[in-house]
Amino acid sequence: MAEIHFHPRGLAIEVRGLRVTLGDTAVLRGVDFHVPKGQIVALIGPNGSGKTTLLRCLLGLQRPDAGQVRLLGEEVGPAVLKRIGYVPQRLPFDRSFILSVREFLSLRLRETRGWFWQRHRNTDAHLRAALAEVGVDHLFDRPIAGLSGGQLQRVLIAFSLLGKPELLLLDEPTAGVDTPGEQDFYGLITEVHRRHKLTVVLVSHDLSMVYRHAARVYALNGIICCEGTPEEVMNADSLKQAYGIHVTPYHHEHGPGHHHVH
Amino acid sequence: MFTEAYMQRALLTALLLAPLCGLLGVFVTARRMAFFSDTISHAALAGIAVGFWLGFTDPTLPMIAVSLGVAMLMLWLREKTDLLNDTIMALLLSGSVAFGIVVLSLLKGYRGELHRYLFGDILSVGPQEVAIAVVVTAIVGTVVFARLNALALLTAHEDLAHVSGISVRGLNYAFVLVLTVVVALSIRLLGIILVTSLLVIPPATARNLASNLRQQLILAIIVGALGGVGGVALSFQFDLPCGPSIVLTCLALFLITLVGRALRKSRRRNLSPA
Repeated sequence: MAEIHFHPRGLAIEVRGLRVTLGDTAVLRGVDFHVPKGQIVALIGPNGSGKTTLLRCLLGLQRPDAGQVRLLGEEVGPAVLKRIGYVPQRLPFDRSFILSVREFLSLRLRETRGWFWQRHRNTDAHLRAALAEVGVDHLFDRPIAGLSGGQLQRVLIAFSLLGKPELLLLDEPTAGVDTPGEQDFYGLITEVHRRHKLTVVLVSHDLSMVYRHAARVYALNGIICCEGTPEEVMNADSLKQAYGIHVTPYHHEHGPGHHHVH
Repeated sequence: MFTEAYMQRALLTALLLAPLCGLLGVFVTARRMAFFSDTISHAALAGIAVGFWLGFTDPTLPMIAVSLGVAMLMLWLREKTDLLNDTIMALLLSGSVAFGIVVLSLLKGYRGELHRYLFGDILSVGPQEVAIAVVVTAIVGTVVFARLNALALLTAHEDLAHVSGISVRGLNYAFVLVLTVVVALSIRLLGIILVTSLLVIPPATARNLASNLRQQLILAIIVGALGGVGGVALSFQFDLPCGPSIVLTCLALFLITLVGRALRKSRRRNLSPA
């Protein structure tokens, strides 16, 4: 049994006995873990460890065969999803779709004041401020399909923050971002975490980058094979088994439109 | 030329359906559903054949019904089987066309009908079609504009739309339903073979001029209207088949805007310091 965390403000994520079988593969084989509120944590695992499936369960996109998922103390559903921010890896649409950054952000506002994304001074100021917070207000009128990976990620974080989330889930946040970009990214996440007082979950296959920035690490390989502080997890034998003998970070690129289950 | 009743009906129908296709087309092309809508339009041929077989004098309703059936079958096969999307669509497209042609060949006296449904015919737009087009345009236009934010977010990222509280599955089915009805109705003007071009060319033309989605949607509607009305007028003036006239008018607008865009770009490059 995993150690029990006492936290006065409760749990951001509570997963018990989660099982998912896709086709003939038991992708998740009884996943148990708790994420306390208010920390930056990392959920790591090699390709094929069930990260994407677990993330889909958390977001209510995948129905589990067994087990329970609770976010912020509630069953996963439309009500609790409103309190969650999700930052996907990329947007899969065609370059012919010229949604601008301003238009994209306005889709997250509960009430759109200007009908049909008409410019509105107050709305624009609000959206610009959201972009400025993540350091990319110069992208305001740019088409979103033309952004670089790092720019898009910042716009997606701004999009999430407009919904005032209590929990922010980031899928492979450092995929497709170069090393200096990664440092900037973690600086940004730390700042966002401090200012908005939210829980941040980094879902990644890249152990070496996340471990320096996460307070806790959960290593997934069909089950949560170990959890603890980054140092504890890095030195755990079970992790070495999960990743093979050498814990070597590696990058892999997804081609556009290519989906697969990790 | 606008005094003839059938001409007025054709123009009015074009003025309603072509902008509607332009509007929907922005999302169809961004979501890479052009082949999907091509399959829907070809499925209409099976619907037309079934309609005549059952003794309908106006096959509009069986046409819409069969197209809807095929569209739903496509979605179902996509969810339930491992078949590739392209395979599913090619199977249903060729199957519907083959079935439709065989049935029309067996029925005596309907071979001539084939031509007008393949290439469009303004003479075949009756008062009933105009009435249906008015109602459908009013309903679809209202629904699309009411759900514009959800539709844009769905196009940007389905999972993000889900997390933002949008019923992704429901909206996907609703979009296919709307698209099918509009495509099936537009076959009267464009013909089965060319109807998809009205979903593709106006958004592409608008893309040449627009710098955001709002502009692209407005311009796609305008280009659709110009192409539709211009094509019908050309068709009447020079006794040309209606569908190809509309498509060529739209293509001309596309080429003009493409050249304009290239010129604008090169001028900007020359002006900006190296």
